[in-house]
Amino acid sequence: MLKRFWAALLLTALPVLAHHSFGAEYDVNKPITLTGVITKVEWTNPHSHFFMDVKDAKGAVVNWKFEGYPPNVLYRTGWKKEVTLKPGDTITVFAWRARDGTAWAHSREVTFQDGKKLFFGPPAGTGDGGDTPPVVVK
Amino acid sequence: MRLSIFVTLLLVPAFVPAQVPRAADGKPDLTGVWQGGSTRRGSWEEANSGNGVGGTGKDAKAPAALASTSRPPGREPPPYKPEAAKKVLESYNNRALDDPTAFCLPPGTPRTTLVGLFPMQIIQTPKQIIMLYEYMNVFRVIPLNAKHPDDMESSYMGDSVAHWEGDTLVVDVTGFNDKTWLIGTGTFHTEALHVTERYTRVDKDQINYDVVMEDPNVLTKPWPFHSTLMLREGTRLREYPCAENNLDPGRYEKLLKDGVNFRRQQ
Repeated sequence: MLKRFWAALLLTALPVLAHHSFGAEYDVNKPITLTGVITKVEWTNPHSHFFMDVKDAKGAVVNWKFEGYPPNVLYRTGWKKEVTLKPGDTITVFAWRARDGTAWAHSREVTFQDGKKLFFGPPAGTGDGGDTPPVVVK
Repeated sequence: MRLSIFVTLLLVPAFVPAQVPRAADGKPDLTGVWQGGSTRRGSWEEANSGNGVGGTGKDAKAPAALASTSRPPGREPPPYKPEAAKKVLESYNNRALDDPTAFCLPPGTPRTTLVGLFPMQIIQTPKQIIMLYEYMNVFRVIPLNAKHPDDMESSYMGDSVAHWEGDTLVVDVTGFNDKTWLIGTGTFHTEALHVTERYTRVDKDQINYDVVMEDPNVLTKPWPFHSTLMLREGTRLREYPCAENNLDPGRYEKLLKDGVNFRRQQ
């Protein structure tokens, strides 16, 4: 009931919806590390994505989606389109799961097969206001 | 012994920042690619080696650049009136869900300048200063010694005019709409916003950026804010077509529809 109240309040109170907030879409308390095979890489704005086939405990393959930096930031942090990460590559990614519980996560550190590590996305909490409230309300 | 200490002191080079480059008219030349929200000298790669946003993680101790929704720690909080402060806090508790960059709109002044993840470029001429921002690909054309136009309409980035006070470029910005944030999540303002920016290049690598924000409708007093812009030689501005594949508004709508609890406080 309370959830519905907040949902109704937000829908009426917010004239626009927003992007860039980590905390709205992802859960910092649900970190996950997965290894799999890349199926697709999207170098898109405002966020890039890659898709990866991951085998679950029963051997079934699930295609996961991972969100990250836009291409301009990826280039400045050491990535190259169609070179650094390609379909068929096996990688391990550290990420935080989406709040909706589906096979979707906010990626952070990617570890390649040669041991090299790069960040595909920013730290948890980016874009959702930080740890300190902007104002003090008495 | 004393002599050896003396000689050693002579041989250890103290860090001496290079001098401020000057334009033909003798004014400090602000031309260059700069990173806001950073205090580190060096190339982009050298200065962004930390674990924070945009960092490469090579040096875990290196400070993080500033995210677009954050205010640097230790800085004076905005002096909002009590009712306005509640609205700001509501945005924070909603985890910046109402961020006006929602639909990839211009982030406003001074927010655009302070975003550390994306560089900005200043091109200085004797009659106007051009400021180009990678974040949202916005720009400002700032005439020197001019008045604000009579037919000024309200805008996201505001209307800017500038003049030199000694070695400091003073930019007067007005004519804002009420659709941007100042510095930090939820820091809304009204069309009465008046921003005064002071750019002082103190050495080759650093511009001191001192900004004062005034909005008597929501702030109890002018809000001063100090930051620095650091020179990033070898860095170029890239494209950021934010609207290309902006999935977040749709996701937010679904979160709200499904009643997912993401608020900070209940």
